[in-house]
Amino acid sequence: MKRWFSDLALGVRLALGGGRTSWVRLVLTGAGIGLGVAVLLAASSVPTIFAERAERSSQQAAIPGEADDRALYLRWWITEYRAETVDVRYMMAGGPQAPVPPGIPAVPGDGEMYVSPALRELLDSPEGELLRERFPQKVIGSIGDNALTAPHDLVAMVGDPRMPRDSADPIARFGGPTQAQDLGPLLTLLVIVGCVVLLFPILVFVGISTRLAGAQRDRRLAALRLVGAGAQRVRRIAAGEALLGAVIGLAVGTGLFMISRRFVEDVRLLGLSVFTGDLTPVPWLAVLISALVPVLAVVTSVLAMRRTVVEPLGVVRHTKPVRRVLWWRLVPIALGTVALLTQAGSMGESSGGAGNQEVLIGGIVLLLLGIPTMLPWVVERSVSRLRGGAPSWQLAIRRLQLESGTAARVVGGVAVVLAGAIALQSVLTSVSAKIIEEPLSEADRGKVHVSLRQEPQDLAPQAVGMLERAEGVKRVHTTQSLAYRTDTRNYQGITIGTCEAMTALTALPDCQDGDAFMVVNQAATGNPAVAPGTTVTAFSEDEEITKSWTVPQYELVRAEIVTRNTSGLFLTPAAVRGADLPPGRTQIMVELDQSKADAVEHVRNAVAPLTWRTFVSFVGEIDMADRVVQFMSVRQALLAGSLITLLLAGASLLVLALEQVRERRRPLAVLAASGVPRGALGRSLLWQNAVPLLLALVVSTAVGTGLAALLLRVLDLPVALDWGGIGLLSVAAAGLGLVVTALTLPSLRRATGALGLRSE
Amino acid sequence: MSIGHTLLGLLEKGPRHGYDLKRAYDERFGQDRPLHYGQVYTTLSRLLRNGLVEEAGVEAGDGPERKRYAITDAGVTDVEKWLSTPEKPEPYLQNTLYSKVVLALLSGRDAGDVLDTQRSAHLVTMRELTKRKAAGDLADQLICDHALFHLEADLRWLELTAARLDRLKTEVVR
Amino acid sequence: MRALLEATNLRKSFGPTPALDGAGLSVRAGEVVAVMGPSGSGKSTLLHCLAGILQPDSGTVRYRDAELSSMPDAQRSELRRTDFGFVFQFGQLVPELSCLENVALPLRLGGIKRRAAESRAREWLERLEVTGVADKRPGETSGGQGQRVAVARALVTGPSVVFADEPTGALDSLNGERVMQLLTAAARETNAAVVLVTHEARVAAYSDREVVVRDGKSREVEPAR
Repeated sequence: MKRWFSDLALGVRLALGGGRTSWVRLVLTGAGIGLGVAVLLAASSVPTIFAERAERSSQQAAIPGEADDRALYLRWWITEYRAETVDVRYMMAGGPQAPVPPGIPAVPGDGEMYVSPALRELLDSPEGELLRERFPQKVIGSIGDNALTAPHDLVAMVGDPRMPRDSADPIARFGGPTQAQDLGPLLTLLVIVGCVVLLFPILVFVGISTRLAGAQRDRRLAALRLVGAGAQRVRRIAAGEALLGAVIGLAVGTGLFMISRRFVEDVRLLGLSVFTGDLTPVPWLAVLISALVPVLAVVTSVLAMRRTVVEPLGVVRHTKPVRRVLWWRLVPIALGTVALLTQAGSMGESSGGAGNQEVLIGGIVLLLLGIPTMLPWVVERSVSRLRGGAPSWQLAIRRLQLESGTAARVVGGVAVVLAGAIALQSVLTSVSAKIIEEPLSEADRGKVHVSLRQEPQDLAPQAVGMLERAEGVKRVHTTQSLAYRTDTRNYQGITIGTCEAMTALTALPDCQDGDAFMVVNQAATGNPAVAPGTTVTAFSEDEEITKSWTVPQYELVRAEIVTRNTSGLFLTPAAVRGADLPPGRTQIMVELDQSKADAVEHVRNAVAPLTWRTFVSFVGEIDMADRVVQFMSVRQALLAGSLITLLLAGASLLVLALEQVRERRRPLAVLAASGVPRGALGRSLLWQNAVPLLLALVVSTAVGTGLAALLLRVLDLPVALDWGGIGLLSVAAAGLGLVVTALTLPSLRRATGALGLRSE
Repeated sequence: MSIGHTLLGLLEKGPRHGYDLKRAYDERFGQDRPLHYGQVYTTLSRLLRNGLVEEAGVEAGDGPERKRYAITDAGVTDVEKWLSTPEKPEPYLQNTLYSKVVLALLSGRDAGDVLDTQRSAHLVTMRELTKRKAAGDLADQLICDHALFHLEADLRWLELTAARLDRLKTEVVR
Repeated sequence: MRALLEATNLRKSFGPTPALDGAGLSVRAGEVVAVMGPSGSGKSTLLHCLAGILQPDSGTVRYRDAELSSMPDAQRSELRRTDFGFVFQFGQLVPELSCLENVALPLRLGGIKRRAAESRAREWLERLEVTGVADKRPGETSGGQGQRVAVARALVTGPSVVFADEPTGALDSLNGERVMQLLTAAARETNAAVVLVTHEARVAAYSDREVVVRDGKSREVEPAR
């Protein structure tokens, strides 16, 4: 035991005592592991984030009650401002006992409002100028964090005592049980895949970081071996060195995490933002990380010692290494494939998510682990056959032939990210095809609908008047909308309006007053077009008034994309003259002058005095189902994660590439001194990075598509690969290689200066 | 090694009598082989004959010889010439070289020049030996190498002395 | 006879300490000049300035009709590749390339086809009596063989000046002598000048004349008769 300790201590001393070089190495290792640890800590905070969010939203849950004086009358209004959603709640206390929503001290009075900090900032900034018109109320305070889900939420709580009681929801109290979000098997698997794919590369990266300056360390340890240290002792000494790096990395990572945590509220990534307080690692995960990282560091470094331990002379003399063996490198891939095959279909719709999550995670991890184990072999075999070429190419290839391990490790991290991203992308594409059955229509940015809440009195004329005076408005059309049904399930909209108004809404052929059209989706299967002459039940939108009505002669129009407002029957006024139809609701459609900036904001402002009685949306915008919304946010989070991981992979690539330049300083300096142009040296660096990267692309595309195919089988979905996405990701990874090489050029410049010629 | 030049060099600092000269010589150069009085006087009389020194009066006293000697201009020129002429590179030069360096330092001349001149002369010889070696058979090579290694040892000594000139100066001029 | 390469009044500092303090040197075509001096005297810095690897802080370096100190880096690189050759104490061969490829490298960088470059490289390896290591990597050769390969690489382009910085520093006497014999013989045959930085007298004895550098100042010594 004492021997153990002294060997470890010797390792630490060797790691510390090598002067400047070893310090540089320690700093690089610390930075590398630190980055990984910081991301892991952030990831381990995700459960806290969700738990806190769920907690807060349950606090805010409004429980409806009796419409009496003890209720708070609440009305939601969603308004948009430059693609941001502002969540506005109009409220009126029914009496002194009315509940107060969480986050504010009291129900705001007439002309008063509380706003979230982000909204307050927006309103105070020049960018918020147009939005201010929508809120004439006086801001009397800020909404507390406990009533927001994210720091960037735009929320206003506005007092409105003139609100008619019968058009608002009476709320008895706030706060309900915390609801566990059930994502369903599809999304659950997606989240699992996402987490594994995003976090695993970080572990790989941590492993790689401990092997920085491997060649140098190998030489040192080989020297120890030559003076008589036993294989076991050398392993322990190496473990000591790795341990030091890991501990430094842990410290750096914790520091990085603590520092960046303080700025997290200012960061928005793809619309997501997080409270500092929520970014707290789950304790047991934090403990796991701080145990796992050193263990990982020690294990990888001891494993990497094989060659030094086996042939100490070979390291000192730079002879050709032993050829790599393939069989054990295939084991993880084989095991992973088998594991995922056993789960085939288990997460499908029909089996209701009976899959074994542990086996799934294990399978994914094993498959991805196969990449870093396979890559060195693939690189070695591929480059060993290459010959000739330009000098820069020859330099790079010969270098790779002599020592391909470092290069393979350098790109290993990127390859894992890439394979994961390819798998994720393919699964996302298939799943989105499943979840979003119809293609999302492109909203027409030139036209907006202004929906009006049904009121005792018709607000339409007032709204039209307001809109016609608004800036940036070209035309205001009004139509009447109602609906008909043939049986309980099949119903469709009826739009009555002038040819001009209806043509603006949907693509109609030549229209004359008196015409009638039936617009259906090109690929429509359901909702059969009712034949003319059929008697159907026509009803007003609130279904209060129903009338029997005979469908007139119409022209069938097949449209590419249809939404609720742009399909169904389109009738000109003359076509319904005399028909006994229930009253329609007035729909207002505004054509915008798109040359005017913020025209839509002016429209929103124009009807803002009507507050919650209006809703403005672009024509073609559709409401999404909850499932779709959930899917979208999962996808968003996964994309954000991928971005971080890819950046991390890029950073690791950079660190390792820099390290490679540093390690080869002298030969590079001599070459530059002998007049080899720096360009040629730079190109050789590029090839040296690009060749393994290309091989990594091949391997990761293969593994990634394989993983995707296996996962789609698990989900019982047809295997359809997103080649466009795969291509894009590959191009991005290749670009990363290019950028990294470019970033190493300054250090190459330094290394090739005359100072590089000085012996150490 | 030239006792005459050394004595001349010592006289450059000022006139002295024979006994003083012997003492100064022994102190600096005669560690293992002090001069005999006889040697001093025969050398001085030779220098006198050649016009390199002159008598500079007699001191009153009990000793038989209280004659003081001073260096002449011809004597100074002679020292100058001696110092700037490298010794023929051959083994066991250190005594002469050492004397030259010390005298150069004593007389405020650049001792580095003495060393450089000598180095140059050594290298000339070494070049010749190297050339002969390249042309000759193995026996020639071995003989030349012997000489070369000895000369190299001298040169190393020159190099080392050059590096320590400052320290030597403070000790000699003290 | 006009100097082929001439440096005058060079000054160069690394930080506060001057490495060169008014040093100069002129090299005529085909001659072997030894630059001698103790460690840290500025020998190597002088060589780096002469070869255009370093830019002096002040002073001029002329090569033929060109002012080296005012050339852009790319042009100096080109000059070093075409007109100069280099032999260092160690670590100059690219460890990944075979010895033959190492020697052929400067030719290939000059745009010569691989086959032609390698056949010329092979001739030079023969000349330096190291054909046996042609296909080995530098790590697999002995120190003496490696240095000969380096000499072959320095001479393969037919340079006008070969810069040798302690070329025998890592070798024993016998190997060192052999390398020096081969280097100077080959240089004389091709009329290449050699600037030889060394602190060893026996190595300097292969030169035609020597220059002593001390405390960043150089002293040219004309051969004594």
